Amino acid sequence: MTKETEFAIEIDRLTKRYGDLPAVDDISFKVSKGEMFAFLGPNGAGKTTTVEIIETIRPPTSGKVTLFGMDVTKKKHDIVRRIGVLPQGFSSFDRITVRETVQYYSRLFSIKTDIDGLIELVNLGDKAKEQYRNLSGGLKQRLGIAIALVNDPEVVFLDEPTTGLDPRARREVWEVLLGLKKKGKTVFLTTHYMEEAELLADRVAIISKGKVIAMGSPWELIESNANYMVLTLQSVDDKVFEIIRKTGFEPFLDNHKDIKVRVKHTYDVQKILNAIKDAGALYLSLDVRKPNLEEVFLKLTGEALREVQPEMESE
Amino acid sequence: MNARIISANLVVKLRSFYREKTTMFFTFAFPIVLILVFGTIFMSQDNVEYHLCVQDLDQTKSSAQAVKALELNGKFKITRIDPGVNAAQYVMDNKVNLVLVIPKGYEGLLMQRMVFNDFNASITITYIYDPSSSSVATKKDILNSVLAGINQRMSGQPPFVRSAEKSILAKKYRFIEFFVPGIIAMSIMTLSLFGTVNLNTELRQKGIIRKLATTPITNTDWILSNVLYHFILAIISTIAMLLVSHAVFDVSLHIDAWLIVFVLLDVFAFVGTGMILTRFVKEAQSAAAAANAISYPIMFLSGSFFPIELMPGFLQKIATTLPLYYVNEGLRASMVFEDNMSALRSSAIVGVYAAVVFILGILATKWEEGQ
Repeated sequence: MTKETEFAIEIDRLTKRYGDLPAVDDISFKVSKGEMFAFLGPNGAGKTTTVEIIETIRPPTSGKVTLFGMDVTKKKHDIVRRIGVLPQGFSSFDRITVRETVQYYSRLFSIKTDIDGLIELVNLGDKAKEQYRNLSGGLKQRLGIAIALVNDPEVVFLDEPTTGLDPRARREVWEVLLGLKKKGKTVFLTTHYMEEAELLADRVAIISKGKVIAMGSPWELIESNANYMVLTLQSVDDKVFEIIRKTGFEPFLDNHKDIKVRVKHTYDVQKILNAIKDAGALYLSLDVRKPNLEEVFLKLTGEALREVQPEMESE
Repeated sequence: MNARIISANLVVKLRSFYREKTTMFFTFAFPIVLILVFGTIFMSQDNVEYHLCVQDLDQTKSSAQAVKALELNGKFKITRIDPGVNAAQYVMDNKVNLVLVIPKGYEGLLMQRMVFNDFNASITITYIYDPSSSSVATKKDILNSVLAGINQRMSGQPPFVRSAEKSILAKKYRFIEFFVPGIIAMSIMTLSLFGTVNLNTELRQKGIIRKLATTPITNTDWILSNVLYHFILAIISTIAMLLVSHAVFDVSLHIDAWLIVFVLLDVFAFVGTGMILTRFVKEAQSAAAAANAISYPIMFLSGSFFPIELMPGFLQKIATTLPLYYVNEGLRASMVFEDNMSALRSSAIVGVYAAVVFILGILATKWEEGQ
């Protein structure tokens, strides 16, 4: 008899190696019931490996993973009935309609499901008779979420649910995820989009090179790791970078070649702007904002969280 | 085993198949085309007429009668060639493979033998031929038997050894009747093997297997649904082959429960083999190559197209280890010879093979990713 715990997921010193290469390196954390937990990290950090171990798809090399107190390596049959999974790069049967797909997965769980209710939940009502191959990327992901919910799971795993989607489709998926949160589902979200984690998650674990390097609510992570503001200047004047440096700050260039400066106080902003004005240099626009999770990740690892994605940038 | 899961899989597979019209067409068209092509070849072999060139150097009434006798034999369509041409050159220039040459002096020597009872008088008929042609040997055999008949008749004595033919079958069968069960067995093998390997590698590549790994489906449910799906296609395909061979070639075979048994065993054996193969083949492209590498030798060695007696001894031994050989034997035993004992023996052997590969297929099927 397995004892249920207050936590939906408990991970204790989990390690997964491929040969000598550690994909996941001695990580531990817990996810409470009803929590929306985001696992944030760049591609290849170990996110999918970790989540597939929890989903019972991969065996761990060492460590212990339990769901509702049940060991994932021993209780696969019981666990799969209580979880819903949207795998990374979800795909389905090309010539099967939305409704038939939901019905198929429902029958695999041998339970009665409100098929039409689920289809409506992910806003696919008008596409119910459309074959999978005719759906856009966003609609396919929404169908994936619907079938992750056919067994009314207690924990839903969503692995990169918005990767490759255009901004509108991504927002539509977010709305569905916020709906899950309202329903009180425990959601384990894997993503490399910091705005996704920041918007949706109650707690975030940042993973880099197989290790969890920070964990907490988005607000806590930002407060504890990035207690500053970021001044961004879009400038056409080459002198601006040097002027800021001479005032005692450390400017740096971002992906778009904008100048960024971390400042502690608002009067630091004033000091920099005065120095630029006094030197007779010019800038096109300025922006001052609290840092986000991307800033936190950059500070903790010295690496950008997300590579520039051409398909996204063009939209 | 969960009947609800198996039926859910079956419905999805049949729907996908039905909606993929091109795949559906070629699945059923391939065995029908084989029946039509080979049926036409075998039917024409029953009434085959060879082309024979004859050069009559004697140009007498007797030599003309000899040529006429060859023509009346019914096996040859005769072309007479000019006595003035070089027969060997004629063979090369006109792409004919054999010229029969009646020498000058034929009538004189014939008279010597027949009228004057000179038993030393004999004549030599020459075959000038192209040894690279595959039908030359058959032509020479027929000509030799015709000449042997002539010699025997000229001897004026009744033959000592005679032959009589007695078929073990009450009904007279043509080769196509033996061929159709072989094509049924072979088509079901390719349908089940290729279908299983292609479908499973495609689903794995698309990540659908990974999604299914997080559902309650078991290996047994999955393979049984594969077996049922291919069994339904195999039954439809078999009915189509039997109808076409009956409509076009008037083939009528004995059909009873054994046909269903052998179709099912054939499907079980090769779906199981396909599941084992899928374990080792990762890409869709290599899946087709692997299925080809297994199915082609089995297809040709198992006696689907021609009797294994035509093969060298060691290949015959290999043939008797192959499951398709026993499906062929069993189907012919039930559909042609109506021999229940022989069908039972074959079904037992295929049944054991099917059970073993089915169990191995269950063990080989992996939902989880690499260890």
